[in-house]
Amino acid sequence: MIKDLLWVEKYRPKKISDVVGNELAKTKFIDWLKKKNRRKKAVLLYGPAGVGKTALVNAASNQFNFTIIEMNASDTRTEKTINKVGKPATSFIALDRFSSESKGNILFLDEVDGVFGQQDRGGIKAIINIVKQSLIPVVMAANDTDQKKLRPLKKVCQLIRFHQVRIPLIITTLQKICSAENIEAEFEALERIAQNSQGDMRSAINDLQSTSEGKEILTLQDTMLLRTRNKDIGMYETLRGVFSAESVGEAAIMLSRSNVNYDDFLLSISDNLPFRYPESADLATAYDMVSKADVFRGRVGTENWHLLRYFFNLLAKATTVSPKSFKPFDFISPPIRVMSLFWTKNKRMKLENICAKIALKCHVSRNTAKTDIVPFVKIMLEKQKSSKIVSWLKLEPDDLDYLIKMNKL
Amino acid sequence: MVVLNKKSFTLPRVEREHFVRLMRLGVEYDRDKGTFSIASFDNIEAILDSISNILNDEILFLQNCLICDNDFPCSECNYPEFCETKNLPFQCVCPQCLKNRKIPQQKLF
Repeated sequence: MIKDLLWVEKYRPKKISDVVGNELAKTKFIDWLKKKNRRKKAVLLYGPAGVGKTALVNAASNQFNFTIIEMNASDTRTEKTINKVGKPATSFIALDRFSSESKGNILFLDEVDGVFGQQDRGGIKAIINIVKQSLIPVVMAANDTDQKKLRPLKKVCQLIRFHQVRIPLIITTLQKICSAENIEAEFEALERIAQNSQGDMRSAINDLQSTSEGKEILTLQDTMLLRTRNKDIGMYETLRGVFSAESVGEAAIMLSRSNVNYDDFLLSISDNLPFRYPESADLATAYDMVSKADVFRGRVGTENWHLLRYFFNLLAKATTVSPKSFKPFDFISPPIRVMSLFWTKNKRMKLENICAKIALKCHVSRNTAKTDIVPFVKIMLEKQKSSKIVSWLKLEPDDLDYLIKMNKL
Repeated sequence: MVVLNKKSFTLPRVEREHFVRLMRLGVEYDRDKGTFSIASFDNIEAILDSISNILNDEILFLQNCLICDNDFPCSECNYPEFCETKNLPFQCVCPQCLKNRKIPQQKLF
């Protein structure tokens, strides 16, 4: 029976020390798990696929005798289903916690970045509520935490980052598996499998199993059919890659491998250019390229994807105006515009609410209320705080404070 | 090129904004010893860029071998072009141990 198992299952880490790489992330997670009074009730493990996030949770629960209640991407994760499983699991402390054999339950939500769309409507909101009310540790895992929908979730979680597993560590693990399976493997073959995996331990083990199936000797020739795996890279790595690229081609390849949002990336390039080019002539050329790239982004819209390569090429050119002058600098990421919108969200919401009240009473649109009426209401309030207009518009005291302190619209 | 020790390292007098940025990124400062150390590796690439920017030089962290416990630089490694975490202060396996096919019995499985 165990012979037919996938090797990723057969050699799944049983102890924490079995999880290869990411030593600091492991220590951080164990420290959090061992704490009795956790500052944050949930932890979000994030990083590329196949680096040991799920393996660490399983190994830690095994070692510390926790019982895992798991929901992963194969389950439907609507608000209703998450509440159905998560609420009973997190609202009560299991009696077996008081026994010597078990320490209780852990709620483990794997691939939370996959909770989206119509299918999983309300899922993230339900998870946040569960985290806030939970009596047991909640552990989540995700590949990409840059997504907008995960921002509220990140606020209530302790974040632990996982990095790609290094090639020598993968080779050592593959050697160990080969010796356990009585396979004599050429070092070059294992080296090729490890390099091909690009830091993904799971895919390396799967590739090893597929190439050495039914063989006692694994040669380099056997691994020749393996195809290079594509890896997505995030915003920071993309910025770092394109700004330090030595040619337009290198920068363009980096851009095409990236999984960042095109609009955010355009803004980020624009924010970072002044740090990259101290010479004003270079800076002007680079901004010219960015403005052209922006034109192409507009033309791409949602259907003319064939124009995307021009967008990429122009951005690549903008970042490599003078490749030799590159010196490391502190990248601005996320874009300033996105950040300022994020920080001013409450203020903007407040103004929107006031405009909605005025619009309702004056029978105008919210926009008209904002541009034509609010400035006059502000002047009136500055002169006389408790005027009749306040009660007529049903403005609250904090609305008044906001309008009086507001500088400009 | 400056070689730093991941456990603690010193920097020349750092401007306020650089200091605040380092602290935000996850670097800790020991007032008594006057040394910096990396407390969180979540923003390790940004920390590396910031320190490099402060020192105005390329910086390098030595790697610690999981098998023989020796320190070695990434320049000795045969796979720098495949490694997205090169020069970052993580544990690894040194080329000698890898070549000798020493398998860590306790640390892996």
